[in-house]
Amino acid sequence: MGAVLAPRAAPFRLGAGVGLRARHYRDFLESRQAVGWVEVHSENYFGEGGYDRHVLERVRADYPLSLHGVGLGLGSAEAFDERHLAKLRRLADATEPVLVSEHLCWAAALGRHFNDLLPLAYTPEALTLVAARVRRVQELLGRRILVENISAYLEFGASEMGEGEFIAELVRRTGCGVLLDVNNLFVNEVNHGADALATMRAIPVACVEEIHLAGHLVTEHCLVDHHGDRVADEVWRLYDAALERFGPVPSLIEWDTDIPELDVLLAEAAEARTRMAARHARAA
Amino acid sequence: MHALLELQRAFGAALAQPGGAGLPAPLFRGSRDETLARLAVYRGNVYGNCAKALAAAYPIVRKIVGAEFFDAMAREYGRVYPAASGDLNEYGERLAEFVAAFRHTQDLPYLPDVAQMEWLAHRAYYAGDSATFDPARLAGLPSSRYAELHPALAPACALLASDWPLARIWTVHQDDYEGGIDVALDAGPDRVLIHRPRWRVQVLTLGPGDYRLLESALAGATLGHALEAAVGEDLGFDPAAGLTRWVEAGVIVDLAE
Repeated sequence: MGAVLAPRAAPFRLGAGVGLRARHYRDFLESRQAVGWVEVHSENYFGEGGYDRHVLERVRADYPLSLHGVGLGLGSAEAFDERHLAKLRRLADATEPVLVSEHLCWAAALGRHFNDLLPLAYTPEALTLVAARVRRVQELLGRRILVENISAYLEFGASEMGEGEFIAELVRRTGCGVLLDVNNLFVNEVNHGADALATMRAIPVACVEEIHLAGHLVTEHCLVDHHGDRVADEVWRLYDAALERFGPVPSLIEWDTDIPELDVLLAEAAEARTRMAARHARAA
Repeated sequence: MHALLELQRAFGAALAQPGGAGLPAPLFRGSRDETLARLAVYRGNVYGNCAKALAAAYPIVRKIVGAEFFDAMAREYGRVYPAASGDLNEYGERLAEFVAAFRHTQDLPYLPDVAQMEWLAHRAYYAGDSATFDPARLAGLPSSRYAELHPALAPACALLASDWPLARIWTVHQDDYEGGIDVALDAGPDRVLIHRPRWRVQVLTLGPGDYRLLESALAGATLGHALEAAVGEDLGFDPAAGLTRWVEAGVIVDLAE
């Protein structure tokens, strides 16, 4: 990879962060919060001005910022939205985020955009397509991006490899980093028996630069990744395993449904911090 | 056709149609019943994300028709005008057109214009910020040349002419509004300016001269022509006062050659 896409020189220790949502704007504007960094959904700030952008500029002056995209659809075979990518670039240029991430998914077909994170068939063809897209994004943004493993409720019969293997090869081909969502690993283990620990083992240690933690919903047919609850105990245990393998990488609490008071998110972030410190103590 | 594209189109077709009939059996692992149940989770997400975006863009339409009706209408709207972009703030642009034709909203003849106003307000909310006009911009230019300049409006500004009292409808539906909620629907035509002085969008009724001035400016007229048009519309219109008013309000933000 060219110099511009090389991993950042010094390891950075952002610690635990939370997703910044409109409900908590006031908390962040009025006082310093005990978080190492914040992350936003890029699309919510695509507007050229207005209150959300104003708040984002204020907050990013005090905390490292991560831009997390939900709408690019890296794996949509039918089309790739260059206009969407151009908006992301404008936002990234204006806000200078420490991290930029997107999902390993597809989202558009039949001329429409489903606005959901839809699972890929893990095939060599998909790998070629996604790798080309990731290279395109990295080229336009002039930086590495992180690609996140998603939660899935359905699994294509056509898949020829596991998610971990697919991600590892994507990293090898594009030099991208990985945003490891441990809740998604757990959801997929329950929903279709994908071994979470095996997936983690398939992913090269050095490429994981961020971890996501969130709550899920238990339903009759499957676990749903709704980001509307505290992190489940089993997911905390997987998080410990992830810290063991990947080290104390920046970790984020995501909450998008029935968003509670900020204190609830801060308590979750504190828990992540405690586990990072415990792992660090063991390693020392 | 490429296999991946074919798989995604088959998945997409299953998501787009209610009931899940016609699902190609070998597409997914697992039993058919399980697949249908899980497909419903995705369908719920696809519908729910769009419905949420529509509700966020159209709070007044939602208050007028009621939340339950709005949700059902959002489902129907999504069928007719599915999202074309992964930027959900762009979703819902054609609701005015939709409600004008929708069988169940024909008894609300003002609803299309309310929807149009809300879409413009939604765009205004995210529009670029603008500084107020700096008179130093005119330094060095003889005042005799002012008439040849082109007034530019702030990016958030939009105009709308309606047979219905839009500004009043806007005002009484604001969350922090306290006062009588009567709206005289027969009050006559309303010409409104949608703009965003700082962070909050406002909707103001304009007199015929002001409306004509700003409309001409939006269309690219020179200041001279725009003021002339305003006076032509309303003989009582005071050009100097009108210009000052909209510059001070942060609506006219530049006079450019």
